[in-house]
Amino acid sequence: MQTTTAKRAGVWKDGSGKGRSTPKGRQFKDEALQEVCALLGDKPRRPDLLIEFLHLIQDRYRCLSAPHLRALAEEMRMAQAEVYEVATFYAHFDVVKEGGKTPPDLTIRVCDSLSCSLAGADKLLRDLAAKYHSGGKVRVLRAPCMGRCDTAPTLELGHNHIDHATLEKVEAAIAAGDTHAHLPDYETHQAYVANGGYATLGSLREGSQTPEQVQETVLASGLRGLGGAGFPSGKKWSFVRAEKGPRYLAVNGDEGEPGTFKDRYYLERTPHLFLEGMLIAAWAVEAETCYIYMRDEYPAVLEILAREIRALEEAGVVKPGYIDLRRGAGAYICGEESAMIESIEGKRGIPRHRPPFVAKVGLFGRPTLVHNVETLYWVARVCREGGEILSSVEKNGRKGLRSYSVSGRVRQPGMKLLPAGSTIMDIIDAAGGMLDGHSFKAYQPGGPSSGLLPASMHDIPLDFDTLQPHGSFIGSAAVVVLSDKDSARDAALNMLKFFEDESCGQCTPCRSGCEKAVKLMQADKWDQALLTDLCEVMADASICGLGQAAPNPIKLTMKHFADEI
Amino acid sequence: MLETNKNNMVRFTLNGKDVTAVKGQTIWNVAKEQGTLIPHLCHKDASGYRPDGNCRACMVEVEGERTLVASCIRPVAEGMKVTTESARAEKARKMVMELLVTDQPARAEAHDQSSHFWAMADMEDVSQSRFPALERERIPLLDSSHVAMHVNLDACIQCNLCTRACREVQVNDVIGMAGRGRDSEIIFDLHDPMGASTCVACGECVQACPTGALMPATELNDAEVGDSADFDREVQSVCPYCGVGCQLSYKIKDEKIIRVDGVDGPANESRLCVKGRFGFDYVAHPHRLTKPLIRRADAPEKGLNIDPSNPWTHFREASWDEALDVAARGLADLRAYYGGKSVAGFGSAKCSNEEAYLFQKLIRQGFKHNNVDHCTRLCHASSVAALMENVGSGAVTATFNEIENADLAIVIGANPTENHPVAATYFKQFAKRGGELIVMDPRGQGLKRHATHMLQFRPGTDVAMLNAIMHVIVEEKLYDRQYIEGFTEGFFEFREHIRAFPPERMAALCGIDAKTLRTVARHYAKAKSAMIFWGMGVSQHIHGTDNARCLISLALLCGQIGRPGSGLHPLRGQNNVQGASDAGLIPQVLPDYQSVADGEVRELFRHIWKGTEIDPKPGLTVVEIIDAIYRGEIKGMYIMGENPAMSDPDVEHARDALASLDHLVVQDIFLTETANFADVILPATAWPEKTGTVTNTNRQVQMGRKAIDAPGEAREDWKIIVDISNRLGLDWDYDSPREVFNEMKMSMRSLHHITWQRLENEHSVTYPCLSNDDPGQAVVFGDGFPRRAGRAKFTPARVTAPAEVPDEAYPMILTTGRQLEHWHTGSMTRRTKVLDAVEPQANASLHPKTLRALGVTPGDMIEVSTRRGKVTIMARADRAVSEDMVFMPFAFVEAAANVLTNPQLDPFGKIPEFKFSACRVSAVTARTAQAAE
Repeated sequence: MQTTTAKRAGVWKDGSGKGRSTPKGRQFKDEALQEVCALLGDKPRRPDLLIEFLHLIQDRYRCLSAPHLRALAEEMRMAQAEVYEVATFYAHFDVVKEGGKTPPDLTIRVCDSLSCSLAGADKLLRDLAAKYHSGGKVRVLRAPCMGRCDTAPTLELGHNHIDHATLEKVEAAIAAGDTHAHLPDYETHQAYVANGGYATLGSLREGSQTPEQVQETVLASGLRGLGGAGFPSGKKWSFVRAEKGPRYLAVNGDEGEPGTFKDRYYLERTPHLFLEGMLIAAWAVEAETCYIYMRDEYPAVLEILAREIRALEEAGVVKPGYIDLRRGAGAYICGEESAMIESIEGKRGIPRHRPPFVAKVGLFGRPTLVHNVETLYWVARVCREGGEILSSVEKNGRKGLRSYSVSGRVRQPGMKLLPAGSTIMDIIDAAGGMLDGHSFKAYQPGGPSSGLLPASMHDIPLDFDTLQPHGSFIGSAAVVVLSDKDSARDAALNMLKFFEDESCGQCTPCRSGCEKAVKLMQADKWDQALLTDLCEVMADASICGLGQAAPNPIKLTMKHFADEI
Repeated sequence: MLETNKNNMVRFTLNGKDVTAVKGQTIWNVAKEQGTLIPHLCHKDASGYRPDGNCRACMVEVEGERTLVASCIRPVAEGMKVTTESARAEKARKMVMELLVTDQPARAEAHDQSSHFWAMADMEDVSQSRFPALERERIPLLDSSHVAMHVNLDACIQCNLCTRACREVQVNDVIGMAGRGRDSEIIFDLHDPMGASTCVACGECVQACPTGALMPATELNDAEVGDSADFDREVQSVCPYCGVGCQLSYKIKDEKIIRVDGVDGPANESRLCVKGRFGFDYVAHPHRLTKPLIRRADAPEKGLNIDPSNPWTHFREASWDEALDVAARGLADLRAYYGGKSVAGFGSAKCSNEEAYLFQKLIRQGFKHNNVDHCTRLCHASSVAALMENVGSGAVTATFNEIENADLAIVIGANPTENHPVAATYFKQFAKRGGELIVMDPRGQGLKRHATHMLQFRPGTDVAMLNAIMHVIVEEKLYDRQYIEGFTEGFFEFREHIRAFPPERMAALCGIDAKTLRTVARHYAKAKSAMIFWGMGVSQHIHGTDNARCLISLALLCGQIGRPGSGLHPLRGQNNVQGASDAGLIPQVLPDYQSVADGEVRELFRHIWKGTEIDPKPGLTVVEIIDAIYRGEIKGMYIMGENPAMSDPDVEHARDALASLDHLVVQDIFLTETANFADVILPATAWPEKTGTVTNTNRQVQMGRKAIDAPGEAREDWKIIVDISNRLGLDWDYDSPREVFNEMKMSMRSLHHITWQRLENEHSVTYPCLSNDDPGQAVVFGDGFPRRAGRAKFTPARVTAPAEVPDEAYPMILTTGRQLEHWHTGSMTRRTKVLDAVEPQANASLHPKTLRALGVTPGDMIEVSTRRGKVTIMARADRAVSEDMVFMPFAFVEAAANVLTNPQLDPFGKIPEFKFSACRVSAVTARTAQAAE
C-alpha cells in the first residue's frame, strides 16, 4: 500500500490550517431547526407565509435570532437574504445577531404621531424611557399611530393598549401582568345571525340577484373606496370579473394613516357587517380566496377576526381556509394596495409599478379585488338596507356619509359618522367643540398625506374631490384639530418624520427626499426655494402615493403658516 | 425576441415626433433607438436584467398622466405622447441626481473614478448638492472581508442592481436589501460580512454596480479608490475553464490582465463565475515555465519529487532547439528501435481545436497508430459511447440554454452550481420561473433548494432508478407511440426488458420510494418539453454507458428530443473537451467521429494527409495506455497539457507507470505532477497568450484570441507540435491556427459553413450550421437521427453493482469530483490568488453525524483509505453528503483523491469508476499526525 502522507517535494502546495470546516456561509444548527419546525408544525412551507412564521418565532422567543432565521431559511428552502430582508423591513420584528441582546420581556410602544404628540406623547416617552431605561425587563420604543387617537396619548404595553396613558397606568398594568389585548364587547356571529345577518349573502349565493345587479346597487349608492382613493366601489368589480380566474379578494386592513381609526371602530363593534360585505364582494368576483391583511397594531381586532372566521367556518358559511387572515408587522407602506399584496406574498412591502393595476395583475400575479374594511362594511349595509342609506343623505351639495376619525383639540374626539358634505366646523361641533382654552387654528383633513389647512378654510365640505383645488384631499378622513397652542411647523415636521420612517426606500425621491426634507425642516429658517423644488419632484417622480403626498404638509405649511418657518 | 409585424406595432409621439415601435418596448428603449439617451442608473441595458424603475433618473412626461413616468419600465402605448425634454421632467431627473450626489463620496474619492453614476451626473450637469448630508453614523462602513471584492456602501444608491444580479441573473441568492427607507442597506445572507457569507464570488454584482460601491479588490488602492476605465486595451475571448464557454473580455494594462468582464456570448449573456472572472493571475505566477527544461543526467530517480519553484535539482535549462531535438529524438529512437507503438500521446481538452487536431495527426501520422487519447476518457467517454450507439452523434442534442423553452428538466449526476456555474444560472432561473426541476443525485447538491423533486438516490443505482421510471411510463402507456414508431427501433425488446423493473421493487435498491418514482415518470412523460442534463455522476461508473443508455431511452420513449426545450445534454467538463473530441483526439475515431476501422474514412484522410496510411485498429484509451506502459509495451510518451499523475484513478499506479517510461515529453505551462516524471519539459503558452478556436458543451465553436504575450520563451502549443513533427520527419508547414482550421474543414462536416472569418467576426457559431448566415442549430434531430433509417435505438440496460461494494473493512463510499474554485488537478486554480484563498486546503466532506460518530470535529484531520492507498485530509462537515459517504475533490496534490479511486473501467466507454470506491475513515490523533510527518 502506498501513502502520500510522506513529504515529497512534488507536493508543492499544502493549505493546512487555512481551510473552511463547512461549506460557505452560515450553517444551520440542528437545535434551532428543531425549534423552528416545532413552531411551524404542519403548516405548508409556502413562501407567502414567511411573515406569519416570523411572527411565530418573534412571539415565542421575543426576537428573531440569527440561528432561527438561518434555520427558517433552511426549512423554507429560501435564501437567507430573502428571509433577512423581510425580517428587517417590518418594525415589529427584532432581529438579533450573535452577541446582540434579546429584547426584554416587555416592550412598550409609545405612539408619537400627531394627536398623541399634541397630547404629550413626547414627554410620556421621555419619562417612560428614563424610568425603564435600566430596568432590563422593559424597553420603551416610539411607534407610529396605533389608531387610538381619540384616547391620546396611547401606548401599547405588550399587546395591551393603554388609553390616555400615564406613567402610573403603565406601572399598574405591569404590576398586574396586564399585557394582553383587551377584547371589547362586539357583535358575535350568533348575535349577527339572530339579527338577520348573512341572509343577504345566502340569497345572493342562491341567485336572487346577479353580480351585475348588486354592482349596480352599490354604484347607485355612491359608495366609494374609503381607504382614501375614493374609487367608485362597484366599478372595480367589473374590472376584476373581466379578467380570467383564478381571482382573489384582498382586504386592506392596514389602517395606518395617522389619525385614522374608523376601521378599528367598526371591526371592534360589528365585525360581521364587514365580513358579510367581504363575502358579497367575493361572491361577485368569484374570488378563490379572501385575504384579510390586518395591521399588527390591532391585536384585539386580529383576535376578534380569528374567532369570527372560525365561527363562519363552523357555521358552514365558508370553507375552512377560504378566509386567510394575515397579520401585518408594522409598516405603514403596506396600506398601499400593491405593497400590501407584496406583503401578503410574504415579501417586503414595496409598492409595485402601475400599470398593470392589481385588478389585472395582483396577488400571486392574479386579478385581485382590493377593498378597504369600511368599504366592505358599507357594501353589506347597502345590500342589506338599500343604497338609500347613503344616497339619500345630502349636505352642502355632497351625497353620502363619511366616517370621520376626529382627534386633537376637541372635547369629544372619536369616530363621527356625518354627512359627507360636513365642514370642519360641523365636525368640531359633532366632537363637542374645541377643548377649553383652545381656539381653532388649523386642521389635518385626512391624515398627514393631506397636510394641514388653516382655520380660515373652514367652509369646505370635507369630501372626495373638494379638497384637491386646495392642495389637499380627504383620504381616510382622519381629522386632527389643532389650536392656537400648537405649532403648524412642529406638526408638519412630525408628519415628515413619520414619512421618513415609513418610506419603503424603493425610489430616490421618497427615500432620500423625506430624509432631506426633515433635515431642511429642522433648520431655524426653512430654505423655501429648495423645499419647493424638492416637493415638486417628490410629488412628480415618486413611485407611490406615500412619496407623492409626503410633500403636502410642507407645501401647505409654507402656504398657510409662513410666519412659523 | 420581439417580432415585428403590423399587429404588434404601436405608434406614439416622442418629443413631438411620430415614432413606430414594437409593442412591449419601453419608452427608454425606443428613445435610445431614436438617438436619445435618457439618463439611467438602476436600469442596466443588458440581457438578463429587467428594468426596475426605482432610481427615477429616467423620468419623462406622458400627456394626460398626473405624475411623471419612469421611461425604463413603461411600455409604449398607441397614441401615447411622450416628452423627454419638458422642463418638468428635466427638473425631476436633475434633482434625483442631486439627491444622490449629496451622499456620494467626494468625486475625487469615488471608488470608481469612471463610474456610470458620475457619467450620468455629468450628463445631467450635476456635480454638487444643495441638500444636507446624511448623518455619519447612518453610513455603512467598508466591508473588505472578501478576497475578491470590496463593499463600500457609502457609495450605494439602493438601485438594487446588485440584488437583481445576484438573485435574478445568477440566482445565487446571497444579496438582499435589508431595512427600509433611507436606511435600506445591501446585505449578504443575514447581514454577514461578504467574505463569511455564501457568496460564490461570481462578481456579477461588481459588473452591475453603477457607482463603484462594489469593486474588484485588486482595482482599489489603500484609500479604496480605483478606476474601472484604467486599462490600455481589451481583447474579447472565451473562458479557459469549463465547458460552458463563456465569452469574456480581458482588460489589459501594462501588458497584464487586470480585469475580466463577461461578454454577451450565446452561452453566457455576460455572466461569469468566480474562475472566469477572478481566475486569471495564474498566467503570471512565478511557477510559469519560461524556458525548455531537460532532465539532468545526475537527477535523482523519477518520482513526485520536484518543487515547481526550484526544478534545478532535476532539470537544466535548454535552448528550444536543443530541447526539441532531445524531445523528438527520444521519441524517434523508440519508434526506430521498438516500432511506432512504443510511443503514445495524450493531448488536451484545454488546448484549441487546432492543437487537438494537430496532436492526434502527429501520433497517427508520425507513429502510425491510434494510441492517442485525452481526458474525455475520464469524463464523458461512456456518455459519448451511449450517444454514438443509440443516437448516432456524441454531442448534445440541444444547448443548455434551451431550458428556456422547457417546462421540465432533469439534472442527474451533475453538480452544475460548482462545475458549470453559468449553465446553472439558467437552470435556477428556469426553476424560479416555475419550471419543474427534478434533481437526481446521491449528494444534496446546490440545485436541491431549487428542485421541485430531489431524488437523493443510493450511489451506483442509477440504472435501477431510471429503469423503474421507464417501467412506469411503459406500464401506464405514457410513452409517445407516434414518436417511437416514427423515429426509433428496438422498442418491443425494450418494452419486454423494462417489465422487470417495477418501482415497487426498485425502491429498495435505489432508495427512492415508488410513489416518487411514479410521479417523476408521469411528469416527465406528460411535460410539453423536457430536457435531461447529466454529468460525471452518470458517466464515471463501470456502468456509465448503461446509465447514459437509460437516459437516452427515457427521452426516446417520450419523444422529448428534437424540439425546442427538449433534448439530451451531457454537460461537458473542459472548455474544449467537445472540440478536442470532435477533432479526433480519441483512439477509435478520426475527426468528426469517423471510425478508423472504416476504409473510406481512412482513404479520405490518406488523401488529406498526403498519403498517410492510417492504422485501422482502434487505439488504446487513457487507462489502457497506462497499463500498456506497465506491461512494457509503451516506452515513450508525448503529453500535452494533461496531468495523468493527478487525474488518473489509482494515481500512484499511474505515477509509477510514468516513472518507468524511457522517454517522456511533457508540454505544459507549469511543472505539473506529470512533468515531475518528464525527460524534457516544453514551456507552452497559457490560453490568453494564444489564438485558436474551442467548442463548448453547446456545440458552439468560439474564437479565443491572444490577449497578452507569453512569458519568457514559452511557445504556442500548435507551434511546438509542428516543431516536433518536423523533427519526426513530417513535412508540416502550418503558419497559423487558421491554416489548421481550414484543413480540419476538409474532413469535418460539422464545420460546414463555419469559417475562420465568421468566427473572427461573430465570435461564435453553433454546429451544425446550415448556411453562411445561420448562427447554427441549437436543437438537432427534429427530423431523425444520423443512424440507419434515421432511427435512434433503445438499448436495454441491466442493473450492475459497483465494482467495489462497501464491506466490513471498507464500509463507506468515496465519491470524487470538483469544487467551484478549483479546476481539475488544480495546476491553474491553485496558483490563482482568489481561488486559492477561498478554497486553500484539501478537504473531504462528510455528514456532521458521521463526523460526530467518528469523534471528529469539523476542521480536524482524518485519514481516508481504500484498497489503493490512504490520504490524510481535513474533514468538512456538510449535510449534503449522505451519512455513509465521503466526498473528495481531486484538485489537491497534498491529499490526492485519486490515490484512492478505483481504476475499474466501464466496458464500453473505458471510463474509470471515479464515483464509487469502498473506503474507510478514521480520526487522525495528534500522534498519528506526527508519525505521518
